[in-house]
Amino acid sequence: MKVLAPIASHDELEMLAAAGAEELYCGIVPREWMQKYTGAIWLNRRSPVGGSLDSYADLKRLVDDAHRLQLPVFITLNAPSYTAEQLPLVLELAHKLSEEVGVDALIVTDINLLLRLSEARLTAALHVSSVAATLNTEAVRFLLNFNPSRIVLPRSLTINEIGAITNDVRDEVEIEVFMLNDGCAFEEGFCSTTHHHTVGAFCTSLSEMETKFEWAGARFTTRRQNWLRRNLTDYRQWVWYVNGNGCGVTAKGLPYGPCGLCAIPDFQRLGVSSLKIVGREASPFKKLASVKMVRDIVNRTRAGMPKLHVIERAKSLREAPEHCAAGYMCYYKVD
Amino acid sequence: MNPTWCLHIGRAEDLRGEFSLSRIATFEKSATIQPYLHLTTQLIAEQFGEIEFTRCYFGNEFCEHLIPSLKALQAALDAAQAQNLSFTFLTPYVTNEGLQALRPLFALLASHNAEVVFNDWGVLNLLRREFPTLIPVQGRLLNKSLRDPRVTTMYATAPAPTAAITALQRSNLDCESYTRLLTRFGVQMVEMDNLPQGNDVSFAAHGLQLSAYFPFGFISTSRVCMAAGLHHHPSEKFQPGAPCRHECQSHLLAYAYTNSPFGNRDQKFYLKGNSYFYAHTEAMLRTLFMQAQSGPIARLVFQPRLPMKEA
Repeated sequence: MKVLAPIASHDELEMLAAAGAEELYCGIVPREWMQKYTGAIWLNRRSPVGGSLDSYADLKRLVDDAHRLQLPVFITLNAPSYTAEQLPLVLELAHKLSEEVGVDALIVTDINLLLRLSEARLTAALHVSSVAATLNTEAVRFLLNFNPSRIVLPRSLTINEIGAITNDVRDEVEIEVFMLNDGCAFEEGFCSTTHHHTVGAFCTSLSEMETKFEWAGARFTTRRQNWLRRNLTDYRQWVWYVNGNGCGVTAKGLPYGPCGLCAIPDFQRLGVSSLKIVGREASPFKKLASVKMVRDIVNRTRAGMPKLHVIERAKSLREAPEHCAAGYMCYYKVD
Repeated sequence: MNPTWCLHIGRAEDLRGEFSLSRIATFEKSATIQPYLHLTTQLIAEQFGEIEFTRCYFGNEFCEHLIPSLKALQAALDAAQAQNLSFTFLTPYVTNEGLQALRPLFALLASHNAEVVFNDWGVLNLLRREFPTLIPVQGRLLNKSLRDPRVTTMYATAPAPTAAITALQRSNLDCESYTRLLTRFGVQMVEMDNLPQGNDVSFAAHGLQLSAYFPFGFISTSRVCMAAGLHHHPSEKFQPGAPCRHECQSHLLAYAYTNSPFGNRDQKFYLKGNSYFYAHTEAMLRTLFMQAQSGPIARLVFQPRLPMKEA
């Protein structure tokens, strides 16, 4: 069970490695893409500004030095789909990333790109992104047609659901799960909206809109209206948690946001291969703090600390018992 | 050229009675939604005159808690047969539990020469392995075009680079390698939404048939359902896939884009259960009907309710 950390520049490499990252992932958006499609069409699931590297030379230096530290580097090519006009550019990019830059895996969503890359037999392995919405064992079996070495499960699956999938396919493919930072109010693979900076995420944008309930029955009493309104308020609070507690930090500057630390003992038991920390675009400090927190819990779990003690430690690391108690900051409900 | 007309029914009773557009327009009881249906039926009559539905759709694309019972499916099949309608069964994205719920339904459908719309690769895999007589149709959730009416209406008129606009009107369906893959998996038809930014449907020339839903498009969907939270204590609310009492059937939530940074503050979004939808404007409907009349769209699926009806 490895700790997978986001990285956006070579400057972050040494500190992430020292903090305990065991795998790295990043994005690249070449200038040709930006010239052709502007910032409106994203090559991967993060804005081209801030979340991705923009030169092959920078990426090559990052990959070479990461390899010297025994850290594999994966790269996102995980837009939901690519059109016929975009595909040659993406295939060429994938070839270059694999054969010239030397990245260890390409993280892919689009089934057509997955097909084409599996046929291309590149040196880099293929990982299926969480955006592919692999929610069941049959979907994993479908994806195995394209020879991925790893599948990233969506964060909407429960521990039991992850366990059932892992149990069925553990020997055939690695399973990666979400561990820390950003959530998604929707099923990421079936959300057709943009996070473009002009409008922001749809889920948070909704929280600021005027709303009107319509009752389907005969009498829409004041009591019913209040009941629905209270639930909407709770939902908006949940969305606030999903979005990193309004992108907040603790007094010590530690990141808030969705968290799966308490589930790490379960994931070790289930045979999960990798724990993903989200946030390529986050500040170096947030990345560092995130890796330290996850690695602390992983170390204790590896050392055989009892689950209840691990959970206690995880909650103390978050330094926000009131948020842990709210129940909205957890990726997974732990028994 | 006339498209094949399909009607998405909520239950078998919808097929008992005359098929007039005026009756179908009354299926949806919501006063908020009804004007869209009146507009739609009016435009159908204007553009096509009398139409004949030859196929019915039944099932749900968005929530595994709304997968119908075996009894409801049998009733819908019987009603369709009585009206001499072909049958298409809609399926949502699913967990292993949802797949288990679908198995007996597929077993029943297998003897009816039915189509199954899959919105999950796992469902396609199950169909191919265990129910090869069922005809798979790729659902609209697997068609990954951007559908965000906050910006897509702007993109449709903005002076953006042609490459960007074209990309927004297409998806991977315009790649021959992808359509060949679908054909290899027995898929002959793919479904799509009528996009606010317009659809480039030139890929239909690759041999796949194209089906479009109207007058609602989906925006986003989630395993976390706001409505399902109604009966839970606050700390237990909004858990993925949590059990529910189909609270989604009791109400509708309409949003107005009052915080838009652009001029489209009258844009509406509708939340029904776990999914958000947009309604087609008159211009969007006219464009869709024109594409159907001129050929690229072979099938039109009329959904006379927001497509979240419990069977």
